[in-house]
Amino acid sequence: MQDRFRRLKALQLPSPSVRSGLEWEAAVPHIPVQLRDGEHTGPGGSGRLEQLLGATAKANEYGEHLSLHCWFGEPARFTPSIEALRLLMPDAPEEVADPEQWIFLDTETTGLAGGSGTYAFLVGLAWWEGGGLEVEQLFMRDHSEERSLLFALAERLAKRRVLVTFNGKSFDWPLLETRYRMSRKIPLPCPRAHLDFLHPARNLWRLRLGSVRLSELERHVLGWDRGQDLMSGLIPQIYLDFIRGGSPERLVPVLHHNQMDLRGLAGLSSRILSLLSDAETLGQDGLELFGVSRICERQGDCIRARKLYEQSIASVLPVETDRTARRSLARLAKRDGDFALACDLWRSAVGNSRPGYEAYEQLAIYHEHRARNPQEAREVVRRALDELHRANHAGTLAPRAYHEIRARFEHRMARLERKSRRPLLEGLGTKFCPEE
Amino acid sequence: MPPSQSLAPRSATTLDTVHDILGTLVARYRQDEVLTSVRQISAREAKFRPVPSWVTSTLCEAYRAKGIQELYSHQAATAELVHDGRNVVVVTPTASGKTLCYNLPVLNAVLENPDTRALYLFPTKALAQDQLAELHDLSKRLDDCFGVFTYDGDTPSDARKAIRERGHIVLTNPDMLHTGILPHHTKWMRLFENLRYIVIDELHSYRGVFGSHLANVLRRLRRVAQFYGSDPQFICCSATIANPGELAAQLTEKKVEVVEENGAPAGEKVFVFYNPPMVNRNLGIRRNYINEATRVAKEVLARKLQTIVFANSRLHTEILLTYLQQANPPKPGQPEPIRGYRGGYLPGERREVERGLRDGRILGVVTTNALELGIDIGSLDACVMVGYAGSIASTWQRAGRAGRRSGSSCAVFVASSAPLDQFIVQHPDYFFGSSPEHAHIQPDNLEILVNHLKCAAFELPLSPEEQFGNVDLPDLCERLGEAGFLHKSGGNWHWVQQAYPADTVSLRSVTSDNFIIIKTTGDSDGEPEVIGEVDFSSALTTVHPKAIYLHQGQQYHVERLDFEKRKAYVKPVNVDYYTDAIRYTQVRVLEIAEEQSIPGPAARAHGDVLVRSQVVGFKKIKFFTNENVGSGKLELPENEMHTTAFWLTLGHSLLTELPFTLSERQNGIFGLLYALGSMATLLLMCDRRDLGAAVGERPPSAASEINWEDFAAPRASEITEFFEPNLYLYDAYPGGIGFSEPLYRISNVLLERTRELICACPCENGCPSCVGPAGDRSESTKDVALAILGRLCA
Repeated sequence: MQDRFRRLKALQLPSPSVRSGLEWEAAVPHIPVQLRDGEHTGPGGSGRLEQLLGATAKANEYGEHLSLHCWFGEPARFTPSIEALRLLMPDAPEEVADPEQWIFLDTETTGLAGGSGTYAFLVGLAWWEGGGLEVEQLFMRDHSEERSLLFALAERLAKRRVLVTFNGKSFDWPLLETRYRMSRKIPLPCPRAHLDFLHPARNLWRLRLGSVRLSELERHVLGWDRGQDLMSGLIPQIYLDFIRGGSPERLVPVLHHNQMDLRGLAGLSSRILSLLSDAETLGQDGLELFGVSRICERQGDCIRARKLYEQSIASVLPVETDRTARRSLARLAKRDGDFALACDLWRSAVGNSRPGYEAYEQLAIYHEHRARNPQEAREVVRRALDELHRANHAGTLAPRAYHEIRARFEHRMARLERKSRRPLLEGLGTKFCPEE
Repeated sequence: MPPSQSLAPRSATTLDTVHDILGTLVARYRQDEVLTSVRQISAREAKFRPVPSWVTSTLCEAYRAKGIQELYSHQAATAELVHDGRNVVVVTPTASGKTLCYNLPVLNAVLENPDTRALYLFPTKALAQDQLAELHDLSKRLDDCFGVFTYDGDTPSDARKAIRERGHIVLTNPDMLHTGILPHHTKWMRLFENLRYIVIDELHSYRGVFGSHLANVLRRLRRVAQFYGSDPQFICCSATIANPGELAAQLTEKKVEVVEENGAPAGEKVFVFYNPPMVNRNLGIRRNYINEATRVAKEVLARKLQTIVFANSRLHTEILLTYLQQANPPKPGQPEPIRGYRGGYLPGERREVERGLRDGRILGVVTTNALELGIDIGSLDACVMVGYAGSIASTWQRAGRAGRRSGSSCAVFVASSAPLDQFIVQHPDYFFGSSPEHAHIQPDNLEILVNHLKCAAFELPLSPEEQFGNVDLPDLCERLGEAGFLHKSGGNWHWVQQAYPADTVSLRSVTSDNFIIIKTTGDSDGEPEVIGEVDFSSALTTVHPKAIYLHQGQQYHVERLDFEKRKAYVKPVNVDYYTDAIRYTQVRVLEIAEEQSIPGPAARAHGDVLVRSQVVGFKKIKFFTNENVGSGKLELPENEMHTTAFWLTLGHSLLTELPFTLSERQNGIFGLLYALGSMATLLLMCDRRDLGAAVGERPPSAASEINWEDFAAPRASEITEFFEPNLYLYDAYPGGIGFSEPLYRISNVLLERTRELICACPCENGCPSCVGPAGDRSESTKDVALAILGRLCA
């Protein structure tokens, strides 16, 4: 058996240790991995790890885990307005606006893919305290400490019921749900509300920054500099090396990284909510205004959305965004019956592009059904068809799109021509056309 | 299956047509030599039983509305056993209403308790899709009171959550269970907490490597179910094999009842054995069977009979497709009437062919075993099997594809000159009289088991007290711990790697690395296009540099094989040849498990071996004439695997006492091995590729290389006298899949049957049907092989 086992190629370990190229290696002197002689592997260890991390062992009915506290003056405590919150969560209960109820959460895990064999070895929590931010990190030295950690986490979440995360809706929280289910003992805590700031951040800054990684947002939106930081992709391996007997020194930057993420999350959520309350004066640029308008429009606050779209167009926007903003504004103007504005916007938007043809179409619909001017409508459709033919000839439009769009306009043209031949039925004809 | 539909009356047209076809085919030959068997299998009456009284009235109603008033006897027997809480395997041929066997008891349980959950496993996605339609129909009749969904790689991610919560019946495949469900079991809590039934359809397809994997996936499934407090019952369906109960028990590790009596009616069928005529009796050369099969298929298709043509390799599928498409060009503006269907085609293309067959737009399909299983392609009129399917069970499955829903049909088996084919075609009584083969699996194959043990540890920490197969679990865990995969904490072993272990374990082949095939047109504006993929083990033989790869009848020249990135770049060409790879193999014994002296003097043994093999070149073979028109050398990586083998050691005195020259003896040994290998695949239920063969010197001297694929005798200069040669038959899978020990047990039968095979062959000096192609082999190969067998069987 022994011999046979040795022959199995299946047992080759992919990579024995962490790859080099860590950003923080420049700052932290490299400490060769030493095998621990087991003194830290379980509860009641000698305390070297605690000293190193500045943590204390905490015990509860499920065993022990480590806990680490620290306080930061920045970001400062922030009280959001319920109106701003309801733009993110329309059915938000009143208590969501109570900063005392807020608890920020960010986990570090043994893998990025999820699944029942992925553990959250570090759960970082933070809440407003003393005008600043109190951070508590729960850490398991070993798998056997997981239940104790989960129990402690459930206690914290029972005290503060508004969970605040960044990408936690699709990553951290489902992973913790899995961990609670795997424990079979400790009931899953259920927060009163869960605010996740990934999507608002995406709406607001992706166009400008390209990336909405937390550290990027911190740097460009909050103007903070984390200094040396760990690439988060390396974290699972660092912990797994530690579990397998590697030195604990490399965990220090992991805990630091987690603290930075929590501070970034707290700062960013404050920034997002104040922008949503008062974009008109706080908005740094047209793109932010545009982002807030999109959020407003999605939540049905069309009046504010319209105002902000107008404001964002008035400032300088990149070409693509400007086009999108005008399109959205035209849509809102049409909904409000402000056809003068809508037509202005459509006329400025027509051209050889999908939104350009959509503008032609909107104009034609307006002239046909609203202004009851089939003559003008035919003229618009004719211009659109000319544009299409030119684009096709020049090869600036994909053949498939060309055929699809042309069919739509030709269909409309045929109907308009039928109508013009039967002027008496024109009034009736409009009733047969579905509202567009 | 609806009994309301009476047995199809003897359709004179079809039967006459069949005889008309046969007449045309043999016009030029002696009929009895070419048509070795024309059997009329008469229709079978249905045996009915009433619906059991415990079945809820709503379900009875729903089935009655579908025209089912009574059950076939096997359906009733299965339902009763399931109702009694037993695990069951029901053995049914195609079109015998097997789905009712499991749907009835499962749906009844769901109707009685809406919390009940069931998991259905099908070997392929396509089969699950097929069953979904049937269950949706029942669901509609039952006011949508239960949810049924497929869950596979194609399921959109936004639909997955609903399926986990609301699916009473989830239809999936072992691969998805392995990579998509078990590693995420916490999301499936509802299902696992209430999991009462596991249905395994097409049980017989889980043999060899695939079956050994599934047995381990089921170990993991039972473990997870136990975590949630459930202990599901198994309902399995199998085509006819010799040991359904044993296979089911090995897979599920439970006691399983077998229901074998078949109460379903069947239509009449003509089963024809066609042996291509001899062109050179001395050399035992027959007309090329691919060409002959093409002739048969052309005749059938010419009479507008919807036909399925089974070939045994992808290459042959494509060759036949090329021939048949040439003979049946599409009418202007019409789609191609003859299509190909095999693994490696993209799913959309396959669904289109399935639809085309069902609605009759496609007249003929050329396929590999991909269409052997129960995918609904409607009822076809004729089946042409190009070469022996490898087992009696598969042959019946394939033949069942024609006329599966009662009615007259015909099935024609065209024999190749391979020994197995010739044995079967010349011994029709053996085929029609024997029970089908055994299905073997080896769930404790260490390589397979260890991979699944890793997955199991990912799913739930492993306790040293657990049982996982018949291995020393604490010891294995220690070793996995040392290797850095597991870590012991709080008494249990936890997974300590970032990666998903399941992602790196493929259930279907040696490695999960498929090669993708990319078409490059040569001219710069053409976009590279992925046209298909091949698995790792086939890649070396089908897409090596300079190979001609065939896809939907189009030839592609392999320009470049990027071994590291697993990509083959091909360019469409039009040439008059195809390529065939040449492989060299070498075997070394590592550990003897059992060894025994037998007459000869000789010995038989089985145990662990190390097999090294390498694709070293290829031959170019001309279409239609099959002339060898060139060859090339290749430098491809060597493959090394540890596996198990059965072998015979021929004593030195046995060889020296034979009245033949050294080179005659050497040729005789190779010839004997060739015949033994063929007979072994017949006796085991295995694919020819599952079993490798090689000759080597008995240890301690170094083993010698032989070439099995090509099986040309070594050139004179290379001949070195074997002192005591070992004739190996090894499992072609790392770790072995359980063929070696059975071969060792039945070695007497193997030797006897091999002697029968060689004796019965009408050739003079050996031919591809017995001891291998004569070629440049000496004239006495057959005599030497028989002389050795005579000593061994004494």
